[in-house]
Amino acid sequence: MSVMLKAENLHHRVSTSEGPLTLLSDISLQLPTGQSLAITGASGSGKSTLLGLLAGLDRPTEGKIWLAGEEITAMDEEQRAALRARCVGFVFQTFQLLPGLTAQENVMLPSELRGERNAGKRAQEFLERVGLGHRLHHYPRQLSGGEQQRVAIARAFCSIANDSSTADNGILFADEPTGSLDAHNGEKVIDLLFKLNEETNTTLVLVTHEQRLAERCGAHLRMAAGEITTADIPDNYLGDQAEVSV
Amino acid sequence: MLPLKLLGRDWRGGELALIATALVLAVSCVTAIAHFSDRLTRAMHIQSQSFLAAERVVQSSKVVPQEWLRKADELGLEQAQTTAFASMLSAGDEFQFASVKAVTDRYPLIGHLEVRANASDEPRPVQQGPAPGEVWLEARLLPLMNLQIGDRLALGDGDFAITRILDHEPDRGANLFSMGARLMMHQSDLAATNILQPGSRVTYRYLFSGDDAALNSYFNWLKPQLTEHQRVIDLKDGQPQVARTLDRAESFLFLAASLAVLLASVAVGLAARRYGLRHANYVAVMKSLGAGKNKILGIYIGQMSALALIATALGLAIGSLIQSQAVNLLEGFFPVAPPPSGIQPLWVGLATGVACVIGFAMPPLFRLAQTDPMQTLRQDWSNPDKREWLGLIPGPLSMLLLIWWLSGSLAITLALLAGLGLLIAGAAVVNRLLVRGRLASLGGSWRIALGSLQRRAGFNTLLIAAFGTGLLAMLAMFYARTALIDEWQMQLPENAPNHFLVNIAPYELDGVKQKVEGKNLEGTEFYPMVRGRLIAVNGTPVNEREQKDSSIRRELNLSWTDTVPADNKIVAGEWWSENQNDGVSVEVEVAARLGVNLGDVLRFSIGGLETEATITSLRTLDWNSMRPNFFMLFAPGSLDTFPATYIQSFYLPPEDKLFVNELVKNFPSVSIIELDKILENIRETIGQVAIAVESVLALMLVAGVLVLVAGVRASIAERLQEAAVIRTLGGRRQLLIRSLMIEFGLLGVAAGLLASIGTEATLAVLTQRVFDMPFQFHPGLWVIGPLAGALLVGTAGTLACRSAVSQPPLKVLRELA
Repeated sequence: MSVMLKAENLHHRVSTSEGPLTLLSDISLQLPTGQSLAITGASGSGKSTLLGLLAGLDRPTEGKIWLAGEEITAMDEEQRAALRARCVGFVFQTFQLLPGLTAQENVMLPSELRGERNAGKRAQEFLERVGLGHRLHHYPRQLSGGEQQRVAIARAFCSIANDSSTADNGILFADEPTGSLDAHNGEKVIDLLFKLNEETNTTLVLVTHEQRLAERCGAHLRMAAGEITTADIPDNYLGDQAEVSV
Repeated sequence: MLPLKLLGRDWRGGELALIATALVLAVSCVTAIAHFSDRLTRAMHIQSQSFLAAERVVQSSKVVPQEWLRKADELGLEQAQTTAFASMLSAGDEFQFASVKAVTDRYPLIGHLEVRANASDEPRPVQQGPAPGEVWLEARLLPLMNLQIGDRLALGDGDFAITRILDHEPDRGANLFSMGARLMMHQSDLAATNILQPGSRVTYRYLFSGDDAALNSYFNWLKPQLTEHQRVIDLKDGQPQVARTLDRAESFLFLAASLAVLLASVAVGLAARRYGLRHANYVAVMKSLGAGKNKILGIYIGQMSALALIATALGLAIGSLIQSQAVNLLEGFFPVAPPPSGIQPLWVGLATGVACVIGFAMPPLFRLAQTDPMQTLRQDWSNPDKREWLGLIPGPLSMLLLIWWLSGSLAITLALLAGLGLLIAGAAVVNRLLVRGRLASLGGSWRIALGSLQRRAGFNTLLIAAFGTGLLAMLAMFYARTALIDEWQMQLPENAPNHFLVNIAPYELDGVKQKVEGKNLEGTEFYPMVRGRLIAVNGTPVNEREQKDSSIRRELNLSWTDTVPADNKIVAGEWWSENQNDGVSVEVEVAARLGVNLGDVLRFSIGGLETEATITSLRTLDWNSMRPNFFMLFAPGSLDTFPATYIQSFYLPPEDKLFVNELVKNFPSVSIIELDKILENIRETIGQVAIAVESVLALMLVAGVLVLVAGVRASIAERLQEAAVIRTLGGRRQLLIRSLMIEFGLLGVAAGLLASIGTEATLAVLTQRVFDMPFQFHPGLWVIGPLAGALLVGTAGTLACRSAVSQPPLKVLRELA
């Protein structure tokens, strides 16, 4: 089983007006392709910062990260962006749909940024897969919260899928995907996320407050004050090479 | 193609509409003002050139060589000639001295004549003088000689039919002191009169018009050949007062165009900043989806370029349309219809569009490309950037360069730079004060308002600077216009003397006085006058250099009086005391040219006799007062031994014009210099210029208000959100409206105060360096600025937020989400 994501001795500090502040310290982990990992912790524990670093949105102060076999900590911003365009998808807590674009245009955006020609058709397919085939031309403000998050999920999968049906070798980062939804809608969105994850053999890393959601993932890290406090890693899940430092 | 696709989508989303609107407004406003100014400047030039009846004139006391005229022909210049002299007219038993002017067919090259076929008709414009065999007479000559239209009169050996009354000729001021009423005839009839003989006192004027290159080439060729009998006259020499008025008006119009550029750029800058802020999350999302910095820049620069192209084209079209409508609307007010403008205004509009985009719209995009994608996770769009100020440099810099190019005046550019510099520095100070203010002791609406100001202190600095710029533009234009128009009105007060009586013999003095006073005319006192030449200073003969100064070389009019004449001011020394009967008071500029000062002794030659006087005071004069003015004024009694005549000037209303005939009949030896027609021409031109200035001011006020509205709109969303939250928490509508009024009112007061400082600085440079006027402090400005700011910004802000405050808060929050 190949490794999709690997981090070694991550440290992250930022400078503030009151001096340097450590956000993460000494984090190491490794995640095989097609598996899922949940990161939980209280607000301010550093879980979203870790997610951002793992996805290549920022560079750690110290340590190394490999994504899809490439060391992203050695890349500049442009190279990291190119890698994200190739194999990373995002689902955000507040959906982050662009308000001026319709549902279909929002989903098309990643394909368009890659210069793909059939962006519209693929976006339509993914929107149909999340049950929004009838809402293609609606703007975000015309959709409910649950629907907006489903559009965001379609966009995330569309951004990592190399062809119309699969997203092999892609990785999806989800930041509190149910944080802005009620329980019913949250449940539906999670079901959808895991269903698509399975269908497309995508690796999944999600940050959540919800224990129930974390339990559906193959591995579960708990964080506090920028450090991993506990890790539930099934023996048969990560295989010989699997490693999560605590 | 992606930028264009996104442009279309963004447009639908309404985000780009703001920036596009600002850009269209910017370009259309500047284009309209540039067009308008260009057309008005051309109209003013036509009007003012009509003072010469040509673009340039060669004036000569002798006939010029034929080769000169052939050369002008070769260069394709239009030509006309006039020959002016004084002569006696006769009709039956009536004889009258007249100022004769013979003109060729093409006269006047610029401007028009106005004539009547009957005394009861309205004057109508004509482009040509009388036909051969005919003469046109100034109205008052007819009753003076008992003549009617259709009668005949004799001039020398010639006999002519009177066919028209001549009411207006454009270059009447060409010979200010021509005496007698006008008779105009055809040049080809001159020979038959046999009047002009060798030695006759004649003024020949050769009129030329054509394109600048041909004119310059001709006069470069001609000037070395001119003798002492000839001189070239352009507007500056011919009518310095009009030329100066025109110069100032042009500077004003350049200033207006420059300020319009400034206002436009502020509007675009505000809209672009808002666009940049609102797109930060777009970019963060796109970056997280894999778009690199270069890709983002490519998309946004591509979008902005396409938008700039469309908006600029639209702005140019709208600007051109607005100005043509404005000119159509105002057509009746212009004595000369403004001719079509050239291509320059379109370049100005285009340059404004490009400069606004590069200077103001692009920097936020570069900053946007730096957006940290981690913001999508942090949910923080405040995007603090310590280098934000770097992005503020290209805008003002490109604007100043554009203004420099546009106005061609470093002084105007520096004036605006000084004003803006003070304004921005002041905005930063006000910002600091706002941040430090304590709110705890304040009541409800004040606390909300000041709290809101403090939270947005950084943005408020920009906003105050933007509002301030809008107010500065309006105030600077208003005060500059007021200064110019006041100055012009002062130059030619409504009842300025328009007739001079000279050569009044002492024995006629009482009779003339009686006649003038009996008519209740507003006149000056009667000044005695002797003609004398300055021959020595402190015993040393006046040297050659001084002799070249025409004001000193010629015979001077010397006068005496016991009181300082009105409009004269003693600037050194003392006016003579009672019973003092020696000493001379000298006009200060002549004193400077002669290099003389208090205590120096001047020797004069008067009718072959000599007299000396010590300089006891120096005076300034007001040459625009249309009163008799003297370089040298003596103490009473010091010139008693010399034969004197008297001079006086008075204002004669047009309806009393025939009073001149009475004077001519009763005092035939008194010369009357009639300046009424010339003053009327000057007044008309200044009126045209004033209308141009007023119209441009009105346009600028509209542009200023638009900037204020743009500023309010740029800051409204956050305020609305806060207002909705406060209402949700139970805040009353009145409380919110009051707090909004206070908040925007305070911003307006701060902006108005700073605009007053900036305007005072701008005016200080402008008046002294550009308009060539003395510095003047404007106390009213310091009240009007803050008041106008509070009123305009407070009203615009409150009105913009009012409807949202009235709506259910949930609706507002949903719309803003």
